[in-house]
Amino acid sequence: MERLVAVWCPTLLEEGDRADEAREFTRVLDTLEAFCPWVEAACLGVATLPARGPARFFGGEPALVALLAAAVVEVVGTTEGVRVGVADGLFAALLAARAEVVVPPGTTGAFVAPWSVAVLRRPELAVTLQRLGVHTLGQFAALPGSHVSARFGADAAACHRVARGEEGELAGLRDPGIDRRLRVVRGEVTDGPCQPGFFGGASAADARAARAFARVQHRLGIDAVLVGRLGGGRGPAERARLVPWGSRDTQSSSSAPAGRPGDATGDGGAPWPGRVPSPAPVAVLVDPPGVEVLDASGRPVTVTGRGLLTSTPTRCSVAGGPWQGVAAWAGPWPATERWWSTRRRRARLQIVFEGGMACLLVAEREKWWMEALYD
Amino acid sequence: MFVSESPATLSQRRSHPPAGLLPPRRRGVPADLAARVRPVSTAASRLLALPGPLVPLFPDGALRRGGTTLVTGVPGRGASTLALALLASASAGAGWCASVGLTDPGVVAVAELGLDLRRVVFVPHPTAGWADAAAELLDGVDVVLVCPPGRVRPTVARHLVARARERQSALVVLVERPGNWPVGPDAVLTVTAAEWHGIGQGHGHLRGRRAEVQVTGRRPAGRPVSRTLWLPSGTGALADVTPDGVALSPPVPA
Repeated sequence: MERLVAVWCPTLLEEGDRADEAREFTRVLDTLEAFCPWVEAACLGVATLPARGPARFFGGEPALVALLAAAVVEVVGTTEGVRVGVADGLFAALLAARAEVVVPPGTTGAFVAPWSVAVLRRPELAVTLQRLGVHTLGQFAALPGSHVSARFGADAAACHRVARGEEGELAGLRDPGIDRRLRVVRGEVTDGPCQPGFFGGASAADARAARAFARVQHRLGIDAVLVGRLGGGRGPAERARLVPWGSRDTQSSSSAPAGRPGDATGDGGAPWPGRVPSPAPVAVLVDPPGVEVLDASGRPVTVTGRGLLTSTPTRCSVAGGPWQGVAAWAGPWPATERWWSTRRRRARLQIVFEGGMACLLVAEREKWWMEALYD
Repeated sequence: MFVSESPATLSQRRSHPPAGLLPPRRRGVPADLAARVRPVSTAASRLLALPGPLVPLFPDGALRRGGTTLVTGVPGRGASTLALALLASASAGAGWCASVGLTDPGVVAVAELGLDLRRVVFVPHPTAGWADAAAELLDGVDVVLVCPPGRVRPTVARHLVARARERQSALVVLVERPGNWPVGPDAVLTVTAAEWHGIGQGHGHLRGRRAEVQVTGRRPAGRPVSRTLWLPSGTGALADVTPDGVALSPPVPA
């Protein structure tokens, strides 16, 4: 789980009549971005940022918390208006911000144990648990996971993992519409529906398509019907994402620049050094298999710190399968993102096998993965 | 009794552009809106315009509504790219398209092929319900790409073909071997040969795949037609190979 700093602004949690809270919250976010560019709004009044990099730069997590709190107090005006905490994962970080503490790494389970089960934001589950005599997250975490899953279902099982400190994300913690709302407040996008059809609504063909998608979603689940969105990034998996049809994001996208048909890159032509050139691979694997890459003498091929290959790749084995000869290769394209985090040092390699199949490999932490196929 | 028009009115009329330059009716309606509200089943809209390099492969020069097109080829030869390029025909007319069973779609490649991402939906993992999902989607969109898992039962295939004909949608089926689809399609597209260009031993990058696409049709005139094209070219879209066939370098973006 990622170490997260949560910044909690109690006075900005509820939006008033004139949306002053949202505007003030955008100023809070701008202030936080001076410390770290990866600031996210979880919901109105709550922002998060990764702790590791900034903490190392500003002299430790307690020092970072003090700096952030002081900076935000200048924006909101009162010391009652801001609470800052650090913990592993979003759920614990939000509680840490409410308690204004820095939770040491690996102690999430012990930290959340005394809190009431109500903080899971599952009122029905909380009432049932309290009737059963389970009042705190610690008591809830002590229940066997299989029993919780069997008795209460998958959502409660996710809550149980969070209560044990095994996971940090929980459905309902983030407001999915907050980004768009803040962009509206900033004046970057206009609110309202996309381009209207005849008589101001969607055209008959659009309505017919929407009904068909809804029927398939009803049959297979909301997540079964997806639409693609483009964004900035280097690898094919980062440049695009698939979101469920009908989510707010898909409805708003026709007015946003990302989905415009002529703009195939989707990022307004911003430079991304290290991006693999077009054409893009037709299959981007959601679950990339591991690949062994060997040179002529049978030694593994890796990428050096300077972004070069240690030797020439001659054969590969995908997910432990048969060895395939390398007919041609190009790269590596190093993509060093968030350089303070060793997890994100990557390099990409294009390989054409002797059978004619081309694929995109990515190296991360001395291992190769097949990220995409050019079928 | 006729009232003759004054010379001033006549000269005003002549100052208008000739009728051919303007749409005949609906002068106040934007062209794209007029296209969207047009009735779906007029004779002209029975065809879906294909990307230029694919036009010579089809007898009508377009994808026919209500028809079935089979795309086959061993993985890695470009069959998926070819099948997705056929979906671009729907985007050309502001229509909708859908893909069922195409696992792990590359969204960037789909956009580069010329599809309008706002009007493409993916059902990557329909599991056992792929045929039902495809039938529902044929009801609502203009082109449906289906990638069935393994061999398809004849009843299921016939049902989908009939549904496409009834709803006047185009069905594109992507299978590894033609035998996996038991019903005779209107056209079979096969990638018979493919070779990547632009990449060497540690230099260059994948710039384009030169592929030979063969079409066999059910109609009498349909003797096999073969054509070499960039599948895809350096921009990610399809492109023609020059007639002499000697130009090895695919077009690159400016």
